[in-house]
Amino acid sequence: MPQPLGSKEASLFRQVVRHYENKQYKKGIKAADQILRKNPNHGDTQAMKALITSNLGQQEEAFALAKEALRNDMKSHICWHVYGLLYRAEKNYEEAIKAYRFALRIEPESPPIQRDLALLQMQMRDYQGYIQSRSSMLQARPGFRQNWTALAIAHHLAGDLEEAEKVLTTYEETLKTPPPVWDMEHSEAVMYKNMIIAESGNLEKALEHIEAIAPRMTDVLAVMEMKADYLLRLGRKAEAEAAYTALLERNSEHSVYYDALIKAKGIPENDHKALKAVYDYWADKYPRGDAARRIPLDFLEGEDFKQAADAYLQRMLRKGVPSLFVNIKSLYTNPSKRDVVQSLVEGYVSGRAAQQPNGSAEDQTNGDNKEFLSSSYYFLAQHYNYHLSRDLSKAMENVNKAIELDPKAVEYQMTKARIWKHYGNLEKAAEEMEKARLLDEKDRHINSKAAKYQLRKNDNDKALDNMSKFTRNETVGGALGDLHEMQCVWYLTEDAEAYLRQRKLGLALKRFHGVYNIFDAWQEDQFDFHSFSLRKGMIRAYVDMVRWEDRLREHPLYTRMALGAIKAYLLLHDQPDLVHGPEAVDVNGAAETPDGAEKKKAIKKAKKEQQRLEKVEAEKREARKTTSAKGIDGEIKKEDPDPLGNKLVQTQDPLKEATKFLTPLLAHSSKNIEAQCLAFEVYLRRDKYALALKCLAAAHSIDASNPTLHVQLLRFRKALDSRSEPLPPQVAEVVNAEFDTLLPKNQNLTEWNESFLAANKGSVPHKQAALTCRQLLKPDTKPKCEKDLSSTLDSDLISIENGLAGLNLLNEWGSDQAAKKAYADKASKKWSESSVFQLG
Amino acid sequence: MVDIVPLSSYPSNIDLLPAIQTCNITNLPENYFLKYYLYHALTWPQLSFVAVMRPRNGYTKHTGPGGSADLSGQYPKVVGYVLAKMEEEPTDGMQHGHITSLSVMRTHRRLGIAERLMRMSQRAMAESHRAHYVSLHVRVSNNAALRLYRDTLGFEVDKVESKYYADGEDAYAMRMDLSGMWLDWSEIEKQDRERAKGDEKDADEGEPVGEMGKKDDKMVRVKVGRGLGVGDLVERNEAQQQSVS
Repeated sequence: MPQPLGSKEASLFRQVVRHYENKQYKKGIKAADQILRKNPNHGDTQAMKALITSNLGQQEEAFALAKEALRNDMKSHICWHVYGLLYRAEKNYEEAIKAYRFALRIEPESPPIQRDLALLQMQMRDYQGYIQSRSSMLQARPGFRQNWTALAIAHHLAGDLEEAEKVLTTYEETLKTPPPVWDMEHSEAVMYKNMIIAESGNLEKALEHIEAIAPRMTDVLAVMEMKADYLLRLGRKAEAEAAYTALLERNSEHSVYYDALIKAKGIPENDHKALKAVYDYWADKYPRGDAARRIPLDFLEGEDFKQAADAYLQRMLRKGVPSLFVNIKSLYTNPSKRDVVQSLVEGYVSGRAAQQPNGSAEDQTNGDNKEFLSSSYYFLAQHYNYHLSRDLSKAMENVNKAIELDPKAVEYQMTKARIWKHYGNLEKAAEEMEKARLLDEKDRHINSKAAKYQLRKNDNDKALDNMSKFTRNETVGGALGDLHEMQCVWYLTEDAEAYLRQRKLGLALKRFHGVYNIFDAWQEDQFDFHSFSLRKGMIRAYVDMVRWEDRLREHPLYTRMALGAIKAYLLLHDQPDLVHGPEAVDVNGAAETPDGAEKKKAIKKAKKEQQRLEKVEAEKREARKTTSAKGIDGEIKKEDPDPLGNKLVQTQDPLKEATKFLTPLLAHSSKNIEAQCLAFEVYLRRDKYALALKCLAAAHSIDASNPTLHVQLLRFRKALDSRSEPLPPQVAEVVNAEFDTLLPKNQNLTEWNESFLAANKGSVPHKQAALTCRQLLKPDTKPKCEKDLSSTLDSDLISIENGLAGLNLLNEWGSDQAAKKAYADKASKKWSESSVFQLG
Repeated sequence: MVDIVPLSSYPSNIDLLPAIQTCNITNLPENYFLKYYLYHALTWPQLSFVAVMRPRNGYTKHTGPGGSADLSGQYPKVVGYVLAKMEEEPTDGMQHGHITSLSVMRTHRRLGIAERLMRMSQRAMAESHRAHYVSLHVRVSNNAALRLYRDTLGFEVDKVESKYYADGEDAYAMRMDLSGMWLDWSEIEKQDRERAKGDEKDADEGEPVGEMGKKDDKMVRVKVGRGLGVGDLVERNEAQQQSVS
């Protein structure tokens, strides 16, 4: 029971609560202290003081005080509630829920405790608990529509669609008159019910329902979309056709509508004439649209294609639409279409564009013609830069002609930079992109691209300097602080990858963790909406958000970051000396002296460099101190105590850290073969054989002939064979039985490797994998393997990326400097414009 | 090919939000937390639209745990977006929409994408929210945007807001009337009135159920929580300068 207070203190206590609610924390503490002077063991007051202390950011003190409060008053719901709130602030939701439950047991009628508990249950996806909480909240206040809606959401997300619909209907039946048509809460609740009906699979009922409610619904577009979708799925073709026609009249730039319309009309895929007629109708109706002109290029063939492509290309080139090529390139998977496009545009630049397909030669002024010409050169530059039609010298020739005609066109200059990138010359690429940036210094898009290209050549400082032209540099942490605060994931990831390439693992991990934390924040962001959305009533959007949050880390941005972070931790595990910086490990594999003197020297040098960087960072921080230290929300932001990631890189257990990034990756992207292969590397190093094997099996089912997998199968076999002590019998039994299906124990490994090579003739990555296996099986064949690797450079099929992978392979094999130099020299000759094969 | 799709209506494209945020921070100096995008998507789900590149093999929807090997159909490239809202406490008392942010990748200009995004959003403001007008801010130096708003769409300059942007540049505050696009509710409302009259006769005063009105719609601060409720978030972001490219 709460301990009784004197009347003066009781009034003071109410003040404490009020001060807390008004965020007047200092006053709150003062008042609490006043009570505690007279009643030093008053639990509720201690609890409130703890809560305020926590809001002031002093978590440790807050927890200590809250515990003391509980010791003094175990039966106070306030003490337990505060205890829960403190756990929640720490995001320890399980403990918070427990504490709330205690509080609720003491005070079952307390709405705030019930509400806080419900919010956490939702956040934790404890749907059964949430159903319970929302049921009692509904019982307590059945007059509020949101209490009904919330219970329906609980049932819906728990998978009980029938019950969810029933709850909504029960509420609707209490309405004597329909709410006014502008009542969006009502409109959305009814639409939400329709969504539930449709999800239950009863489309007839959903259709009937949406038709009945449609006239009063405010989200007009959604009603049209839902109805059209149901009609089409129900096969009610004539009505579906009308519905999609209506949608196209609202928005003629939506390819999905055209697909549906054609399905509704029942036009066979190969009836090109009928298809074309549909698109022609819409192209005539909305002459400024793009979709109805572009889509027919996908299905038209032969002369029909040529004519349509000619008209389309000329039209867009005359308008100078910069995205024409990205809009066209998906046709190139069909080589004959690719060739037609090429010869058409080549024709334009050689003056064969006069005859418009409709016969009326356009009367062009010189100016128009110049733009047409430069746009055509620009198109050809992109065409010859594209991997399915690549001829980089032609690309360069065309881009130079385009630039000559229009030296101020940012896009042209950007393409020139991209051509250099494909040449494998990242320095030239960055240089040309910088020129593009200078053509329009007020444009952030080109600024972003210039920074990206600087990162690609590992110039992190220059890149940040560029980015800082558009960031709020007065933020704590400067430009980089702003990029973190504004959740600029692309930049942080590119920055991390650049550091990883330089083997500056502290900084790389720092950035990867930065992105990891952003995903945590995105997950946390939903919390406030559990209550907010009920008030706003936009339930469909809310439910969609909840479902999206459940698969948040499936996003390609997460995958890319996590793969990078895991690679960094693997590297750190394999080469622990990298903790001192890249200088500590000699990348060129110079001969190690027996006493390790070289190594000691290298580490000493690396440490010195680390100290220098720390000093630079401290100076930067000092310089910033003079400016404001407040975030945009007026909160005092602390400077990062570990800006260089030194603490991160000093981890005792890199593989455990890697697992943190790996777990969501495997949960959400289990079909990603690169994720499975990297997971194998982590588990193998942790001696988790069963888990490692699971990854191999998963990778095998995705792509049985994947080159990385091939090498890993062999390495797993060798790891099993070379264990100093046998696996525990149970593990061994499972592992051996399972692995036997992937690589049988009695298999002759050399034969297995050679047949892999024979089956994948012509593919450079497969050849590289087979060579890796060959020298793993017979180390004395290494010189021969190195030679064979070098001869892959003679293949016509080899890409510059393959070539670079070959060079990295020599590092992996521990080849000597001479072998590497021979390879690099040969590659440099083959790709004479490149710079990536220069050995450091 | 670029498709114009709704952000969070039907079907939901809310999983595009990170890509929309990327598009914004790549193109514009005025940036926001993801939560601010969420706030738009969950408060006015009808008003925001996205321009995406149609994936080569068409769109795919989420396929269940583990995802799919190829996510390009599920996360198409975002090349433009319009982020829009209703003014929550209009100073003139008139319900109206506001364009929080609009941008199109410069590599995808001259296709009329921005115009389409704007028209879709404007129509939704009028249909779903009975917006009297839509307002926006634009840099006085941004001629291309000015041409779009004034000449193509029909906006008018309301006033110049001095030093509106963080870098000190002035903004034109522009607006355009939308009342012509309102839906005709007269028939429904007539029916409602008649029904109400009929009900009055045999009225059996029951307890009013629920809070029908909009008065409870005002943002309530989340009392206890990790620093900020959505209410705080809104105010803070309003304080930041918003813009339209």
